[in-house]
Amino acid sequence: MGFVLLAVPVIAVVLFFLLKKKQYQHAVSVAASIILMLIAALLTREVILFKTIEYSALGGIFYIDSLSIIVLDIVVIIGFMTSIYSIGYLEEELKHEKLDKGRLRIYYILMYAFIFTMLLALTVKNIGIMWVAIEATTLASAFLVGFYNGKDAIEAAWKYVIICSVGIAIALLGIIFLQFSSIGVLESSQFLDWTALFNNAQELKGPTLRLAFIFILIGFGTKAGLAPMHTWLPDAHSQAPSPISTLMSGVLLNGAMYGIIRIVAIINHSFGNSIFVGRIMITVGVLSVVTAAVFIFTQKDYKRLLAYSSIEHMGIIAIAIGFFTPLSIFGGLLHMINHSFTKSMLFLSSGNILQKYNTKEISKIKGMFKLLPVTATVFLLGLFAIGGTPPFSVFASELVVISAIFQENNFFVGGLLILLLAIIFTGIVLTMFKIFYGNDTPTETSPGEINIPGVCTIVGLLVIITTMGLYIPNELKGLIENAVQIIIGG
Amino acid sequence: MSNYLDALSVLLLTSAFMLMGNKRIKSYIKTFRLQSILIALLTGIMGINSLYNDGNVDILVVCMVVIGIKVVYIPFLLNKTYENVEYKVEKDFFLNIPILIIGCCFIVVFTYFSLSTTTGINTGTINMQVVNSISLILIGLFFMISRKKAIGQIVGFLVIENGIFVTALFATQGMPFIVDIGILMDILVAVIIMGIMVFRIDEKFGSTDINKIKDLRG
Repeated sequence: MGFVLLAVPVIAVVLFFLLKKKQYQHAVSVAASIILMLIAALLTREVILFKTIEYSALGGIFYIDSLSIIVLDIVVIIGFMTSIYSIGYLEEELKHEKLDKGRLRIYYILMYAFIFTMLLALTVKNIGIMWVAIEATTLASAFLVGFYNGKDAIEAAWKYVIICSVGIAIALLGIIFLQFSSIGVLESSQFLDWTALFNNAQELKGPTLRLAFIFILIGFGTKAGLAPMHTWLPDAHSQAPSPISTLMSGVLLNGAMYGIIRIVAIINHSFGNSIFVGRIMITVGVLSVVTAAVFIFTQKDYKRLLAYSSIEHMGIIAIAIGFFTPLSIFGGLLHMINHSFTKSMLFLSSGNILQKYNTKEISKIKGMFKLLPVTATVFLLGLFAIGGTPPFSVFASELVVISAIFQENNFFVGGLLILLLAIIFTGIVLTMFKIFYGNDTPTETSPGEINIPGVCTIVGLLVIITTMGLYIPNELKGLIENAVQIIIGG
Repeated sequence: MSNYLDALSVLLLTSAFMLMGNKRIKSYIKTFRLQSILIALLTGIMGINSLYNDGNVDILVVCMVVIGIKVVYIPFLLNKTYENVEYKVEKDFFLNIPILIIGCCFIVVFTYFSLSTTTGINTGTINMQVVNSISLILIGLFFMISRKKAIGQIVGFLVIENGIFVTALFATQGMPFIVDIGILMDILVAVIIMGIMVFRIDEKFGSTDINKIKDLRG
């Protein structure tokens, strides 16, 4: 079953090459994403029952546990939402001749190549192959970032590919040090095997492991958008087509964060405490939140604002992982899920706004409630949700993280985080809320939603995040608790 | 065997210094090819050694792939890109070359001191091979920030990758086979993508000078 999961996107890519008609391409995309969801549901059930899924084929590289299934489910669900949304989005772009049929095909091919690399990164046991897959996500999405071929898009794509490739190369150096620290402990067939490293963590060489962690944090942190390595992120997220921004913000950042969590687990298990890792992670996390708070106030472009908000939330997850108590890790993982859904909803809505108004500038958008009634409502609620207002899910997970911090008696970081979150909320309100009201709407556009499938997906996501804010299903809770067990060990 | 490896690691470091002293993009690509030949040689020696000792052909296969990708194809691709975009020759560096070379010397000294104080890497004596290869990575990074043209940055990225590859060979006798092959494939695709992007940058901006493309800020 697990290999079928990896085969589906590959088959989809082949079909995109073969089928010329655009209706078929839309159909293949939706069908592939539905099949992926079904397989992921079956795998989730298996993980709930048996804790891990391993196959002996291909040297036993396939491996799923509770931690990876959580991230994997996010990938397939957001992949499904994006593929539904893309139909309406791409049809509209075709109508305005912003792209032709050939480029539509390239879009779908690269999108499914990207999903394939993401799934590969999440389903392997070998950290080296995970690295290869994470680097491949950069390569698959590079042309998607520069999809519109304008000056700005090319600049963003160039920055993205250079900064992320070099960053990820540094992570590879860290992985080499990790392997170096295990020489003499593991056999050569077990090199870079995550479970073997974790089980023998106490015997790994400590100083080399510290060096490895720093390099890996810088490398994967670049990809996860942690400050001060975040500089590619606002450019890439704002220039990419909106469905791709969604995938990058909701899926790609989590993939990199997943890599960091795996390494943190090994290192804390080896040292027996989280002092070394904790200090670095908390510093980087707080720095990310501060950076976001500063830049959100000065934004003139709504997609860039959402991108900075992603940096903020990655920072919160990094802080949660840094504290490394069961409660804080639970909060961090829950926050990862909630942030993905909320941010996806916002980026998809921003695509609707962009297609209606043809501008990314906040100051040029007026009277959204009149022109786009449903999108405006969802977008407004989404902004409240991402700022951390109850009853939405981001509030719930932020509350868990902050209470975990206070439980550790770290009033400085906890207080600072609350203050920064309040500042960010103010920043979002001040810069964004002027777009909803006003009567002087542009004359050339008429009221009404354009992208009907897109509207359905954003409403669906709104329902999900509202429900998750009020009630977490027991199965999900069990999965997250198992994942916490895996990270902490024992 | 360790004599050959020592000699090759020093030669690799020298090739990085040579690269830093190059003025023209054509000569970067030549030096990069020279460096890749040295790496192929190194992989070949290690491969033959492991074939004799363990009967293992993995490293020899990696050597063949290195020759195919790094010695033949990537320099060819870079040359082709260069011929299409660089119609006028411009100065490509901020600082003059003597200062850059002195900077490289500082990098080597810095690496020596930082690695010699890390216990666990050295068994008794300081592992000069690892010092040399990590200096190679840092010089690659320094090269990237010292050049303005897009192709210079691609070469810098490739030098970083070379350095990491060599570090993996010296420190750990190579990564697992499948990982090595995956890494080389990633590099190949990355260079192809970067090459296409250089074309597009040239098309849109009329130059491949990275300093001229900074519209996106804040």
